[in-house]
Amino acid sequence: MNKILHLCTIFEGVSRRVVAAVCFSAAMLSVCVFCTSACASQQFDPQKVCGPKLEKLCMVIVNNTDAQILAAENGDLDVVSDIVRPSDIQIISRNKNFDTSMARAFHAFFMLMNTTDGIWKDKYVRQAAAQSIDRNNIVRTIFSGYCEPINSWLPPVSPWALQGRSANLFNRAAARAKLKKLGYSWGINGMLIAPDGKPVKKMKLLTPLAKVAPTTAELAEQVADSLRSAGFPVEAEPMDFSAMISKIDRKEYSLAVMAWSMGRNPDSLHGFYHSSQNIPGGYNMTGIADKNLDKALDGIVSARNKEEARKASDKAQQLLEDLVPSVPIYSRLSVAAVSNFWKNIITTERMTADNMWTIMLAEPKNGKKRPMRMLLAEEPRNLNPFTASSAYSWQVLGMMYEGLLETNPFTLEDMPGLAAKWSVRAEKNKTVISFRLKPGLLWSDGSKITSHDFAETIHFIQSNKIPRFLDAVKNVKSVACPTDLDIVVTLSGESYWYLDKIGGMLCMPAKTLKAVKDWQNWNPLDKSQKFGPYGFICTGPFIFESYRQGEYVMFRRNGNYRRLKQ
Amino acid sequence: MRRGWLRRRAAASLLVLFVVLVLNFILFRVMPGDAVSTIIDPNFSPEAKARLRELYGLDKPILQQFFIYLRQMLTFRFGLSFLSQRPVWEELVSRLPLTLVLMGCSMLLSAVIGIWLGIKAALNRNKFAEKFVLRAGAVTASFPGFFVQLVLLMLFARTFRIFPLRGSLSVPPPAGTWALFCDYAHHLALPVISLTIMGFGGWALYVRNLMVRVLNEDYIVMAEARGLSKKRVIYGHAFRSILPPIFTILLMSLPGLVSGAVITESVFSLHGVGTFLVEAVSGNDYPAAGAAFYLLALITVICNLLADVMYGVVDPRVRLEEKN
Repeated sequence: MNKILHLCTIFEGVSRRVVAAVCFSAAMLSVCVFCTSACASQQFDPQKVCGPKLEKLCMVIVNNTDAQILAAENGDLDVVSDIVRPSDIQIISRNKNFDTSMARAFHAFFMLMNTTDGIWKDKYVRQAAAQSIDRNNIVRTIFSGYCEPINSWLPPVSPWALQGRSANLFNRAAARAKLKKLGYSWGINGMLIAPDGKPVKKMKLLTPLAKVAPTTAELAEQVADSLRSAGFPVEAEPMDFSAMISKIDRKEYSLAVMAWSMGRNPDSLHGFYHSSQNIPGGYNMTGIADKNLDKALDGIVSARNKEEARKASDKAQQLLEDLVPSVPIYSRLSVAAVSNFWKNIITTERMTADNMWTIMLAEPKNGKKRPMRMLLAEEPRNLNPFTASSAYSWQVLGMMYEGLLETNPFTLEDMPGLAAKWSVRAEKNKTVISFRLKPGLLWSDGSKITSHDFAETIHFIQSNKIPRFLDAVKNVKSVACPTDLDIVVTLSGESYWYLDKIGGMLCMPAKTLKAVKDWQNWNPLDKSQKFGPYGFICTGPFIFESYRQGEYVMFRRNGNYRRLKQ
Repeated sequence: MRRGWLRRRAAASLLVLFVVLVLNFILFRVMPGDAVSTIIDPNFSPEAKARLRELYGLDKPILQQFFIYLRQMLTFRFGLSFLSQRPVWEELVSRLPLTLVLMGCSMLLSAVIGIWLGIKAALNRNKFAEKFVLRAGAVTASFPGFFVQLVLLMLFARTFRIFPLRGSLSVPPPAGTWALFCDYAHHLALPVISLTIMGFGGWALYVRNLMVRVLNEDYIVMAEARGLSKKRVIYGHAFRSILPPIFTILLMSLPGLVSGAVITESVFSLHGVGTFLVEAVSGNDYPAAGAAFYLLALITVICNLLADVMYGVVDPRVRLEEKN
């Protein structure tokens, strides 16, 4: 009987692996399919786009993931973004009314180790732990292959990530050999015994609750299982997310799993791994403190040009590979679907179809014009651009506001936005950035956009210490406007990243800023204008039309948008 | 004596409210983390986080935070929601109509249908009406609400597409007041029907049991012997005598309107007070969550008090006992 059960288990394991392998291949095939369509999109030149062709855009608010898929199937949505669950990806990709696209994303998932606690102080033990985790198996069994196993501290999509870091490090025998070399042995229960002869104390792997983050909770169980197989006495402990963050912040933990989204630049590494960030509320959650790493990370932040930044970034990532303060596990693939009612859908290797370029160029295939219905997965809640912090509020605001620079969808490099050209000059202990605005730019109300609007925006943020933009402007010493089209920003110190920070900031009209009586309480949708002006004056492709809480946000085309005249 | 009794009841209610207020405050502060601590964004430095805490008033001493909170609750100025940056009161009021329409309609419908069926069942012992009420009551009361709602949603909104899947309006909404009203009613029909299905059975069972007991009372036999019409005996005597417990249940279920809305609004993607409660708690939005729980407690206490007073109004025996 036992034999039969054993055989069944083996068969189940084998069949699960076969299914997982098929799923993984399917996912990778989808990536290849997507790449083909991406090649077709190579024809598109982001600098010469003329649009938006759409007259109206509607963001439909649907919070529940199941409801999102049902709404798409019922034809209530044209664009579904950020499809995460493998079952949903399969449902949508089987739907003949939708074209699904997949791209690498900036999301990365890590196992954090408290490097100030117990056995995790030793980098070789951390390396052994990293080798004990079978990333490929996790990706196959939990995500059916719709994720990418990683070994890099920047997501592979980042142009700054070290190349070829997606090989599976998993080698339990090597991990055990490493531990043996360090003097560790194994007890009769298979758990580690420290070199001093005492059993290694039991550890908890903190994870958010399954009802909040089901895949993370499942992943934590698998990670704990992998670590136990190598002899680490680890148990997963689900807890409320706030409680978990609080424990990590106070370094009252051994292990934890967490995911975050990183920008395209490597300067985020400074926040996560520099010893100066090991403070309450800081992001150095592992408590790592290493002089060489600090030096490399400082080198990233203070790099004067791209070459210096690249050198420092590579160095920092190599040091992280050696120090292993956290174990990178996987990076999620971004999956989106667009109804095939629309043509001119844009995808690139780094961008799924739910992007601004698609919205700019999309037209109905049958010529019958109607608003495009795009999913908004959460209530935008706050549409005050100074205080809005959620990604969903910015999904709405992003349709209306723009920065001086934009990101090239193919290369992720800077490209002209409101600014036609720019220059960066590093002088002794200061950086001078000059922008020249494109001529003839207009606000949505028809008034001229000048360099003074931008200068006022920086002054406003600085004088009010607005938290969201504080880091971008804290080093600004002065802003000058030699002409209506020229802006010269002088910043203290030297950093290659200043350009991105300043160039990526939103620009508001000076007259709006003057009319804001209380930036914190200002609600642009408040018709009584108690704390500031009503409505949005913006530069983006769309103008806000109406918002019904829990239902939709409606936009209409900005008739003064710069790309309409191209 | 009646005034004294009312005063004592009111004082006890106030005490309960104060305890709820204190617990509300402690509960959210005891929980680890706050609205700022969950921000994980390297572009949002600890310095910027500290500034945000200062703006939210989270950097103030706990006692000072308590007095600010107390003042806000007592003056109904609940402050700004951390998440939306809008006044909490304004946001609650904007969400209230949908919840009131949804829960009010379903409560009314389930009470009316349930009471009517309960009376029919009591008058038709061992017949189809009674068997139906007993079985329907048991079935609807034993199925979890979300399950029934999901089944109905899949059946009538996805498979047969008779009702919309989500929300309270079509996107984009139709033009014209009448079309808008019809669209609104069409969207709310399925949630209301589902709540009514789940609610009427309990009412029917309860009323049936009360009526069966009352119909066997001597005074009912006496009324029949006096030659009163059947209708008069049933509604003028029997039904009137069971009104106090019905009123009590009706009033006591009012606070449940909000808590019951949590599941229904989530299933049908509706933007009401129920989802407000969930978002406030999960987002550590102290002002919003504090206000929501305080208002819930306030409604419960008022309904309790009202139920006590109404008991005397609808049942003359209670008034007589007090006079004696």
